[in-house]
Amino acid sequence: MGFTATVGGRAVACGEEQPILDAFLRAGVWMPNSCNQGTCGTCKLRVVSGEVDHHDSPADTLTDDERAAGLALACQARLCSDAVVESTAAAGGRTTHPLRDLVATVLDVEEIARETLRLRLDLPEPIAFDPGQYVELVVPGTGERRQYSLANTAGEDKVLELHIRLVPTGVATEGWIFGGLAAGDRVEITGPLGDFVLPTEDDGGPMVLIGGGTGLAPLLGLARTVLARDPQREVLLYHGVRGASDLYALDLLTELAGAHPRFRFVPVLSHEPPPDGREHRTGFPTDHFVDDVASARGWSGWLCGPPAMVEAGVKAFKRRRMAPRMIHREKFTPADAAS
Amino acid sequence: MTTTSENTTTPDLSWIDDITMTELERNPYKAYERLRAEAPLAYVPVLGSYVASTAEICREVATSPDFEAVITPAGGRTFGHPAIIGVNGDVHADLRGMVEPALQPVEVDRYVDDLVRPIARRYLEQFEDDGRAELVSQYCEPVSVRSLGDLLGLRDVESDTLRDWFAKLSRSFTNAAMTENGEFANPAGFDEGDQAKAEIQAAVDPLIDKWIVEPDDSAISRWLHDGMPPGRTRERSYIYPTIYVYLLGAMQEPGHGMASTLVGLFSEPDQMEQVVDDAQLIPRAISEGMRWTSPIWSATARISTGPVTVAGVDLPAGTPVILSYGAANHDTDVYEAPTRFDLHRPPLPHLAFGAGNHACAGIYYANHVMRIALEELFETIPVLERDTSARSEFWGWGFRGPTSLNVTWEV
Repeated sequence: MGFTATVGGRAVACGEEQPILDAFLRAGVWMPNSCNQGTCGTCKLRVVSGEVDHHDSPADTLTDDERAAGLALACQARLCSDAVVESTAAAGGRTTHPLRDLVATVLDVEEIARETLRLRLDLPEPIAFDPGQYVELVVPGTGERRQYSLANTAGEDKVLELHIRLVPTGVATEGWIFGGLAAGDRVEITGPLGDFVLPTEDDGGPMVLIGGGTGLAPLLGLARTVLARDPQREVLLYHGVRGASDLYALDLLTELAGAHPRFRFVPVLSHEPPPDGREHRTGFPTDHFVDDVASARGWSGWLCGPPAMVEAGVKAFKRRRMAPRMIHREKFTPADAAS
Repeated sequence: MTTTSENTTTPDLSWIDDITMTELERNPYKAYERLRAEAPLAYVPVLGSYVASTAEICREVATSPDFEAVITPAGGRTFGHPAIIGVNGDVHADLRGMVEPALQPVEVDRYVDDLVRPIARRYLEQFEDDGRAELVSQYCEPVSVRSLGDLLGLRDVESDTLRDWFAKLSRSFTNAAMTENGEFANPAGFDEGDQAKAEIQAAVDPLIDKWIVEPDDSAISRWLHDGMPPGRTRERSYIYPTIYVYLLGAMQEPGHGMASTLVGLFSEPDQMEQVVDDAQLIPRAISEGMRWTSPIWSATARISTGPVTVAGVDLPAGTPVILSYGAANHDTDVYEAPTRFDLHRPPLPHLAFGAGNHACAGIYYANHVMRIALEELFETIPVLERDTSARSEFWGWGFRGPTSLNVTWEV
């Protein structure tokens, strides 16, 4: 038993305990969405008629005034009656890939850097997604879900690649993925999710991508996608890590740089000096960007990593006059800290 | 022996007699806060008029069947008759019917982006690499006047000339001080408005001559021809007062609105950052900016058509009441902490565009001009910093906004 949500003339059946966003995405109805845990507010919608239960909507993201004014977070709210809703943002006519639940099989787990694993998941059938999106993994026996960005391009739709950093005491990482997850194990996943994707009308302008730690993952999907479309495109990729032993995917990046004259990969070490005989930049990648690029007008910027890095990146991009609408961000939220 | 109980039952309102124009023009909020508390419908001698200062009374008078529009004395002296803001009945209906087609939302949607965005970009190109600018004179006012000037058909009139005209008309329109005898206290204050009108006629008359025989898509050409029998046009003397209404308010106020919104955002740096990062918040920021410092602060009036009681005050027929929308939008009965710019306050309706059948005809147009201008500004220079070494002063009682807004950015 459930209710029906109508948006823009389309009726979508919602289960009793199903978030409205989940129902929409499964039905192929696009709603802006990003974090899917109630913290970003991207999926805010207006309830024109009908009743909703706000469920776990945080007061910071959805204030009492907003609730009183009929707003709801689609990723949290459940219907209590049939309802008519509308997006508060311009929907933009984007098509979306249907949200899927799949049981994948672990193809391999490989340590690619310090406390960092590459997990490859074999899917029972291909899944449609945009590079830069993420999936949720169900942590067995806990009811917990964890979100990991896809390092894939859209064509790599049968084997998903995730980069996972150990979070001490984390139920998903220490308790599961780093605790013996092995080839052949089955993993429940839900996806694709997220809006860290290339615009529908990509203008082909220069791009800067800055990833912190495993925030590199979606940038690999994005960079390879745009370079496949236009091998001559100017793409500047910074990878910010604590020390050289945190770097990974160096072969892939070296190969990309060799094949694409205007692609540049810049690793930056924030805490540990470069090992003997190696020349690495030190400090923060966002500062290096400011030094490297005199004007970022007409550029797009892509940031994935810890919130402080993302905030610094936004500031750095704007200092170099990148238009704010060209700045895309994906923040890591520390969900895996023992919660 | 006579005694009066008046002093014990009514507050002493003699302070109202001491209100000066200079004080109102510098900062009207203080006097109006007290008016709202003590005498929300009060006779203010320096203005020679009753004044409504709360949201409730402004709205009541603006929409009451017992009142009709009237132009303030200084406004009427400046614009002449029939100005669209001061007429009623058939003449008002004809003038609204004349100006409204170009201002309908579907029509504005058709042209506004192509009209305003290139203009905004052009002005930005002139200073975007300078690292500093005074945004009122270099951006807000030029974008406002150039957009409307082109829409009206005044393409050949320089933006600085249009700015000069609205400033002169504005000071003349709000030269409101009256003597005890009901005379203008400062008659010389109308001279610059008269001079501006002479310049306007010298520039516009030849265009009207041309449009009479060669109509085009410009707004004034349409005003001449729309709804008229073939071969006939509206008399220029009939449309000039409404041309002046446009050349003052419609030219000046989108610039005021943009600048006030920017000053408000600078007062709340987190909110500025949110709006710069998410252009979809710009309309909400503008709405709050218009509430916070309403550009048409106290420039419209109504007159009672018969004896009427408003807010406990008996008014005889023919009593003018000035609607102080700028004060109404700071009414603490409606808004919490109204002096604070707050993007996130509950988006309650405000009175910046008036109410009733004389509500601003250009709401939709003006909101979009301001939106596009701020979109382009933040897109081009997303790291504006307020130059705190230069103070930004607000000025005006009839019309209000920042007189300057100095900013810097890294180049």
